Amino acid sequence: MRMATVPLQAAFRGDFTVLLVPVDDQDTIEVVAQKVSYHVIHRRLPPQDAPMHVQHNGRILPTDQTVAQVGLSPMSFVEVFYDA
Amino acid sequence: MPKLERSQWYDLCRDMNWRFKYVTEADVFPEALSKSHGLPAAVWWSWDEPYKIGYREYVHNQAKKDSAVYSVRSAIARSRLFENLDPGWKAAVIAHYGAIAMPEYLACIGEARMGRFGRAAAWRNMALYGTLDEIRHGQVQFSFPHDLLNKEPRFDWAHKAFHTNEWGVIALRHFFDDIFMSNDAVSTAIQLTFTVETGFTNLQFLGMAADAMETGDVAFGALISSIQTDEARHAQQGEPTLRLLIQHGKRAEAQLLIDVSFWRSWRLFALLTGISMDYYTPLIHRSMSFREFMLEWIVKQFSDQLRDLGLERPWYWDPFLQELDWLHHAFHLGVWLKRRTVWWNPAAGVNDAEREWLESKYPGWQDRFGTYWQTITENVRQGEIGRTHLETLLVVCNICQIPVCSPTIGAPPKQITRNGRVFTFCSEPCKWIFEQNPARYAGHLSIVDRFVAGHIQPPNLPGVLAYMGLPPDEQGTDATNYAWAFEQPQSAVTRAA
Repeated sequence: MRMATVPLQAAFRGDFTVLLVPVDDQDTIEVVAQKVSYHVIHRRLPPQDAPMHVQHNGRILPTDQTVAQVGLSPMSFVEVFYDA
Repeated sequence: MPKLERSQWYDLCRDMNWRFKYVTEADVFPEALSKSHGLPAAVWWSWDEPYKIGYREYVHNQAKKDSAVYSVRSAIARSRLFENLDPGWKAAVIAHYGAIAMPEYLACIGEARMGRFGRAAAWRNMALYGTLDEIRHGQVQFSFPHDLLNKEPRFDWAHKAFHTNEWGVIALRHFFDDIFMSNDAVSTAIQLTFTVETGFTNLQFLGMAADAMETGDVAFGALISSIQTDEARHAQQGEPTLRLLIQHGKRAEAQLLIDVSFWRSWRLFALLTGISMDYYTPLIHRSMSFREFMLEWIVKQFSDQLRDLGLERPWYWDPFLQELDWLHHAFHLGVWLKRRTVWWNPAAGVNDAEREWLESKYPGWQDRFGTYWQTITENVRQGEIGRTHLETLLVVCNICQIPVCSPTIGAPPKQITRNGRVFTFCSEPCKWIFEQNPARYAGHLSIVDRFVAGHIQPPNLPGVLAYMGLPPDEQGTDATNYAWAFEQPQSAVTRAA
């Protein structure tokens, strides 16, 4: 299966801006959370000992599903946050 | 030849209006370039302005101004004044020249359009002087940085910037294209001379000149003062144009033009002037905060002018006032984090004393922005400089072209999907501006759109920096090589003493 890059608009809750984060359409939502948090945690926000969630259009996305499965398209906005 | 008093010849010579017999009014003043708003020619002929000046006087005055400012330049060129300036102030000046020198030159196109397509001879006369003013402003702001090239090669960006796709330049170009490069004469008078110049830059230049003198940058102070005197004159084109529109039932059209250009001006003003005043200007030389400056000079003065004209404050006035508390702090953080993508060395401006000042001027700054800077400071102290750089693009707004920032991240950016393309906006007013005239804005690609469309190759950070015209030796770095992160807190220094 060929993977396609999906550029997402992403913000980590508590950060100050919106990032362009390219992900693969076969990435799981858990990987999306990691890719977004890489640009924020330890850089502007401290890490927390808690799982991360990804929210899109008011819906928390299942961590084990892929970008393609949940229907994220280029320039979709997602918010990542700690479940704390 | 007898010399007459100005009052004896001025109106007769200036007001050379006549009715056309061999061509139509529309042939002489095409709507796309002139835009009558349906007002008859004779109505436009009543256009008048308070500055009464003839060409001879104009040339005499300008020659004296040039003589004064270039003599300062000559004297300064032989000194070590620039070397002794604060690194933060150098950042402000280098950023200023790249952002402003070329637009001054380009503004002569907007002025010349009014000088040809303005509907009254009196207006065209004033616009001719405006055209000459802007040529002078361009030339003098190329000349001064040219003198400093041997001390800082990036003064070359005074000329180079607008020939690149650096992200801030894209934002500036989008704005200036909208406000005067691709605008009709009436809209230019209202959006450029009334809103941008009368509302913002005329006062900004007064403040900048004072700050420059306070900081010891005599050359920049003299330069800015000289320019400001011209601005005060040619900015007068907006008000009589507005009055005519309002008197003849075009209040809504006038209000729309102001509402669009005020918001657009504010975004760039926060980016350039906000950062310079509150972070780049040395703390001991700050006479007031950016917020105080905005409230005292821009907000009050512009509100009074709108009231006097019988116009309303823009509909977004309350959100605008709220942004005075936080927007430029977010912009500054973003610029510093992606300092490799700008042509100056951004000063962090967050040592202990500076943070105290910021908290005193912006209560809550420490909780809102100080925490980010504390994490950044710890990374610097631990040698983790890589963590203090952004490694991806920030999403930018499809109107102002500036990164989307928020005081409360969580709310998604405003988006519109049009013909299958997603447009993103930083704020409700930017989205509203787009919706007023989608055809005008929809064809433009932001730096993010270009990246996503594959225009930037290779699609990584080196590719982005090359696309922006920034070779390694021209990319910004911290202004003080991170000295601020290692400065002792004031209290500790005091205790040690």
